[in-house]
Amino acid sequence: MRKKSFAPVFFVGPHLVLFLIFILIPTIYGIYASFTKWNLMNDPQWVGVANYKTILLDTTSTFHTQFFNGLTNTFIFVAISVPLLIVIPLLVAVSLEHRKVKLKGVIQAIIYIPGLISISAAALIWLLLFNKQLGIAGNIFNSQVAWPATQPYAWIIIFVITVWGGVGGNMIIYRASIAGVSKDLYEAAEMDGAGANRKFFSITLPSIRFPLIYTFVMTTAGAFNVFGQPLMMTDGGPRQTTHVLMMYIRQLAFGHGESIAGMASAMAVLLGMVILVISALQYYVMNRNANE
Amino acid sequence: MSKMNISKYLANLFLWALCITWIIPVIFGISTSLRTQSEIVQSGFRLFPAEWRLENYVTILGNTSTAPIMRWLFNSVFIASLHTFLVIVVISLTGYGYARMKFKGRDTLFFTLLGISFFPGVVNIIPSYKIIDIFGWVNTSLAMIIPGLAGMGNIFLVRQFLKGIPHELDESARVDGAGDFRIYASIILPLIKPVLIVCGLFSFVGSWNDFLWPVIVYTDVDKMPITAGLLLLQDIYGNYRMIGQLMGSAIIAIIPTLLLFAFAQKYFIQSINLNSGIKG
Repeated sequence: MRKKSFAPVFFVGPHLVLFLIFILIPTIYGIYASFTKWNLMNDPQWVGVANYKTILLDTTSTFHTQFFNGLTNTFIFVAISVPLLIVIPLLVAVSLEHRKVKLKGVIQAIIYIPGLISISAAALIWLLLFNKQLGIAGNIFNSQVAWPATQPYAWIIIFVITVWGGVGGNMIIYRASIAGVSKDLYEAAEMDGAGANRKFFSITLPSIRFPLIYTFVMTTAGAFNVFGQPLMMTDGGPRQTTHVLMMYIRQLAFGHGESIAGMASAMAVLLGMVILVISALQYYVMNRNANE
Repeated sequence: MSKMNISKYLANLFLWALCITWIIPVIFGISTSLRTQSEIVQSGFRLFPAEWRLENYVTILGNTSTAPIMRWLFNSVFIASLHTFLVIVVISLTGYGYARMKFKGRDTLFFTLLGISFFPGVVNIIPSYKIIDIFGWVNTSLAMIIPGLAGMGNIFLVRQFLKGIPHELDESARVDGAGDFRIYASIILPLIKPVLIVCGLFSFVGSWNDFLWPVIVYTDVDKMPITAGLLLLQDIYGNYRMIGQLMGSAIIAIIPTLLLFAFAQKYFIQSINLNSGIKG
């Protein structure tokens, strides 16, 4: 027994060190930094809850304005993109189950592929596609305005690229789940004269409730971290109406001029708490409804 | 029967409309990269070029100063490959440790780490940068290769997979006197190959496409991966002065992951079967 005692250190130890350095310590330090004045270079100076007070209560402060503008825009993004990223993949997965649909593998591959494309490459192409003179905005939709600089188009192009890139992942999950539902259930329902809608709502949906909860929670948490799409498509414009919270956090901590990392950390902690609370609520509500 | 027909047309219409919309940007990007600037500006939007030209690619690949795309590609390949290799090493060793070895507090430790890892990552970005800075890794590949190895998701998958494999094989090897490393290398590694391939593929694609982190840790143009490099192109080829070059660069950046998908499609698509927990 004695000679074995070092083996676990060899197997589990290296990752444990990595976990401490790159997850545990930065997380604790991030919370600590939110109570300090810090420029990333010198030692942080403890200021108590001053950062939180400024962000949440001081209506004259630009940090207050930035935080609430960023949070509002982030919520808009979450509220519109998450339902689209659940419903469309579900519709695709159900349509692909249809007996009379051919080339299922090809369709699935085409819809999945954009998920493998980096946001910076995708955005260059989509921006040109939405260009007034050279793309479809002017030539097909006869629009006379620049979409990335005009609302509501600025939001629309952000949602288009998000849905385009995000449908494939959840589709794969729903397809695999639906394939696992017992065929007997559908046959029994058909004998009783149930139509397609009835079968979908009474059999398919309840049978895949765990993947639904999982994708709902994960997609929402991911959407709160939105950064690449607005940065690349609109750069936060027009007049900061698509400027999301992650963009402000990055700007304050790593932008031009002196870093305001303490304030940025406080915003990050607040965003993290929003994500935690909403994930917990979603899980609680959906799980309770599913078990009734 | 007529009801069946309507639903058949609806399903097909929906899927093919979606497919066409989904593929248009890719075709548009490729075809624009093959058109000359004057043709693009004069004839406006069209899905296919009047004349197919490779000049834009010659210009892009020849640029070694403001937008060194070959350098960026090399950086991305190096970062993503080494990261993927190390992910496979770390998750297989650690997964074996948490699934098969016996030591005090094993499961408590595992679930504590798993619980901590659910804490939103946004909080640790700023201190992570500081740690990278202390190590002297800013503007080096290590900044992108190492931190991602700390994650718990893939280890969870390997551990789950190992739980589904009966202990008979490794126990009989243990009776024959094999140590943990022998059992890991000659029995467990071959058995967990499917889950390692899937985790490896997703690690490669994730590393290749990562955007927020490289935008933070790289300022040196020569050291960047291609995703961060493309952000600079708006200034270099931007304002629609060199449209073909802009599109060509985007296409070059997406080719490697698409090739990977072409060769390993079944692993991407079936990946979800490994995670029986969410399949329900």
